[in-house]
Amino acid sequence: MSKHKLGELEEIVLLVVAILHGEAYGIGIINEMKERLDRKISIGSLQTVLRRLEKKGYVISEFGEATKVRGGKRKRFFTVTNFGKDALQEARDQRMKLWNAIPQITFER
Amino acid sequence: MKNQDHLTPPALFMRFFRWFCRRDYLEDIEGDLNERFSQLIDEFGVSGARRRFAWEVLLLFRPSIIRSLDSFPLLNRPTMLKHNLKIGYRNLLKNKTYSAIKIGGFAIGIAAFLVILLFIQDEKSYDQHYVEQDRIYRLVNVSSNPDFKINRWTAFSAQFAPLLKEEYPEVEEAGRMILRDWYLAGENQFRKIEDTRNTYEEKFAYADPQMLDILEIPLLYGTKEKALSQPNSLVISKKKAEQYFPGEDPVGRTIVLNDFEEKPFIIGGVMDELPKSHLEFEFLITLTDVEFWNGEQTDWCCSNYDIYVRLRPDADTEALEEKIMAIRDNYMIRYMEDTENAFADVIREHRTFDLEPVGDIYLDTETFADENLTGDGQTVRLFGIIALCILLLACVNFINLFTAKSANRAKEVGVRKVVGSFRSDLIRQFLTESILYSTISVAVGTILAVAALPYFSQIAGKDLSLPFLSWYLVPSLVILALVIGCFAGIYPSFFLSAFKPMDVMKGRLSRGSKSPWFRNSLVTFQFTTSIVLVISALVVYQQMQFILHKDVGFEKDQIVMIQGAYTLGDKTDVFKEELQKLPMVEAVTNSNYFPVAGTNRDNNQFWIEGREKIDDGVGAQAWYVAENYIPTMEIQLLQGRNFNSAMAMDSAAVVINETMARKLGLEDPIGKQIRNYRAWNIVGVVKDFHFDDMKKEIRPLAFFRGRGSASVVAARIKGKPSVATMTAIRKVWDEFMPNQSMRYAYMDESYAEMYRDVDRTGNIFAICAILAILIACLGLFGLSTFMVEQRSKEISVRKVLGASVQQLFATLTANYIQLIVISFILGGPLAYYIMKSWLENYIYHIDMVWWFFAVAGLAVAAIALLTVSRQAIGLSLASPAKYLKSE
Repeated sequence: MSKHKLGELEEIVLLVVAILHGEAYGIGIINEMKERLDRKISIGSLQTVLRRLEKKGYVISEFGEATKVRGGKRKRFFTVTNFGKDALQEARDQRMKLWNAIPQITFER
Repeated sequence: MKNQDHLTPPALFMRFFRWFCRRDYLEDIEGDLNERFSQLIDEFGVSGARRRFAWEVLLLFRPSIIRSLDSFPLLNRPTMLKHNLKIGYRNLLKNKTYSAIKIGGFAIGIAAFLVILLFIQDEKSYDQHYVEQDRIYRLVNVSSNPDFKINRWTAFSAQFAPLLKEEYPEVEEAGRMILRDWYLAGENQFRKIEDTRNTYEEKFAYADPQMLDILEIPLLYGTKEKALSQPNSLVISKKKAEQYFPGEDPVGRTIVLNDFEEKPFIIGGVMDELPKSHLEFEFLITLTDVEFWNGEQTDWCCSNYDIYVRLRPDADTEALEEKIMAIRDNYMIRYMEDTENAFADVIREHRTFDLEPVGDIYLDTETFADENLTGDGQTVRLFGIIALCILLLACVNFINLFTAKSANRAKEVGVRKVVGSFRSDLIRQFLTESILYSTISVAVGTILAVAALPYFSQIAGKDLSLPFLSWYLVPSLVILALVIGCFAGIYPSFFLSAFKPMDVMKGRLSRGSKSPWFRNSLVTFQFTTSIVLVISALVVYQQMQFILHKDVGFEKDQIVMIQGAYTLGDKTDVFKEELQKLPMVEAVTNSNYFPVAGTNRDNNQFWIEGREKIDDGVGAQAWYVAENYIPTMEIQLLQGRNFNSAMAMDSAAVVINETMARKLGLEDPIGKQIRNYRAWNIVGVVKDFHFDDMKKEIRPLAFFRGRGSASVVAARIKGKPSVATMTAIRKVWDEFMPNQSMRYAYMDESYAEMYRDVDRTGNIFAICAILAILIACLGLFGLSTFMVEQRSKEISVRKVLGASVQQLFATLTANYIQLIVISFILGGPLAYYIMKSWLENYIYHIDMVWWFFAVAGLAVAAIALLTVSRQAIGLSLASPAKYLKSE
């Protein structure tokens, strides 16, 4: 059994945070997911996932500078921790292992 | 660039979000929300963005984002509430007079409000008890003919109700009633067949057997199907059953009405007590097989029946009203055409029908059906407005007193703010305080209302009490306390909590309110209301006096009416002669018809002889009276002569009133002939006299010679009525009618009885006016106390500089006089307008004259000045040293 457990949405959000590399904040992540995956997500679900990831130690967050655009509110930027990177790696390895185990016949018609 | 407002997210949802969101997530998510909103605008436009934004916020409302319970500021509420209550309570005790005035005024207002509310509730509770409430209707004739004074009435021909049931499937049941005094309906002498002694009983009515079903009359004995199904059966009320047949089932017993043993009645059932209804009866006589004259049941000549129906649940009343017009065309109009009655065209053009829901009947004053109990919808509305006004006055008082005292609380507000109170905390504090006051006031007001209810019930002629046993009493009182507490407290709390600590500490606010205009307008409102009510009370009182003392065209004083005299029968003339022999009796006459309520009325159609096929004719009262009736009642003969039995042809004589002559268009009526079912010679014309109440115009009337017995023997007596006179008259009566006790009434009292409702309205107005002045003066007293406190230094300085006491008094009261003058300018025209429309209910009414307004204005001004002057004089006379030494 693996020590990491990532839900599907958690994995995707974690990946997007990693893609954005230091520029990942709420709306930024939502836009990225929309663009790359055509997947819509509400602020509510995203924040829930992000905070859970933070609690599990996969990401850390810090406030950025205040800007005028957001009504003067600061952004909270998320970055993937090494622990998070391990989790992603492991998830990917597990997938690959399973992919490789699929016999060719399965896809034949 | 679009409007800036539209570019900020919806405030309501943003506030909701801020309220529930975890503090540590708040900033960045709020930023996200802002950013998201501007994206949404680009994508969907403003309104689409606002809708999607709301959805986003709602999706954020989830456990991981909602902050924990103990971080909500809710939980220190009980503590703060306790604190606020304690402060409020201490403030209440600190200024006992002031608090007493506040609570007293409030309590009086609430008591008045409660009492009037009960009155209105009672008026509205008639006929609301039916199981099939919304399927029971009364049929009403409607005439759009502008020549008619009466446009809605309830009388129909005998065949109408059965036709309704037969021809229209949506009519489930239809029944007829006769409620006015007609044949046996009304009043009778009643006895069991085995007894000999008669008892006078009232409230008889005729009814079809179906009426028991339609009106859902509960029967203690007998069954709905059988109680009235036999000819000559009747049902009696529980009260009467207990009176005549205590402890037994009276069904099947035989009774006799008016000594007429040839046609006894069998009791078919006993009615249980009925809830409040516009219908009042103790005895219902069946209409089964009743025919008042030959062919009456199929004759379309006459309209004597009220019709009640129960419709099927799916019936469309409006469509039915339309369909009923067929009966009008096929029967009513056809009959008129057959008899060549010129009325047919009038009916075709103007007559329609209305199905009136049973619950609306009691407060319907438009429909003419004077045998029914009716309330007065207009009065009920008027009282409703007055109740609200008084409550408003009380609230205004409270607002005034609260804000006037603000200077005393200003420092408290300042200190609280410095220590860290938010404005919302202060608002909450002052609201708590005002709710504390309103709760105490509601409690005191309820006690006052309970104490006042017996007196008010007497004045209003009702039996009112607080519904102590009802579940809703306590909750509604609590809600009342909360609502008016908030209402009265909202302005003071915002006003007080707005003080700026710096100003307060520097003492800039020591002069009290910044906006005296607000308080002034409230005072003006109070006095305007008072003045309107005082003028109204005066007008109602004067109108009452006018009616009671107007020359009504006959002499109503010193007339004794002996009622129920038709049982004298053949002995009537001898009885009259015997009475006449008494030394104190001036004249004796008899008739069924007298110009006071409670005696018969009769409507006949008259034409000038020879024109009955041409004209519409004139509807007139046909009064059969004894020969000496006109001189005895002291009705003035204008032309011609009275009846004279010595003259030949006098049996065809008729005496008419002026209105009748005018309506018939007769310039010189003496000697002319008129006809109803036969021809009559006009021998005399009398001056118009009032025989209906003064809300109605004097109608045409014709006197005919009546002979023999009649329901009332009237004696004009000499001097004041005394016990000796009545004993003597009673002695004569007892010789003639040992089995029937004599009933009598003084005509002037019966006359006054007709106007008791006016009297009541007047009394209630007077009470309201007094209350309004009282509340306004309580407020004024409080305000002036405060003013004197505020201006003590100013006045002392003026005094030291040489101002006289009069000048000081003038300085102190000038403002109030101004306010009263403004109130008068506002209230005068308002009262004029309101009372003018009230007076228009009466065809005969007083005109409003200037002195009503002068008296009301001066009275209110005097009372107000008196209230203020106690304080003002005290201050003017006081030694200046007293107020200046501390400086």
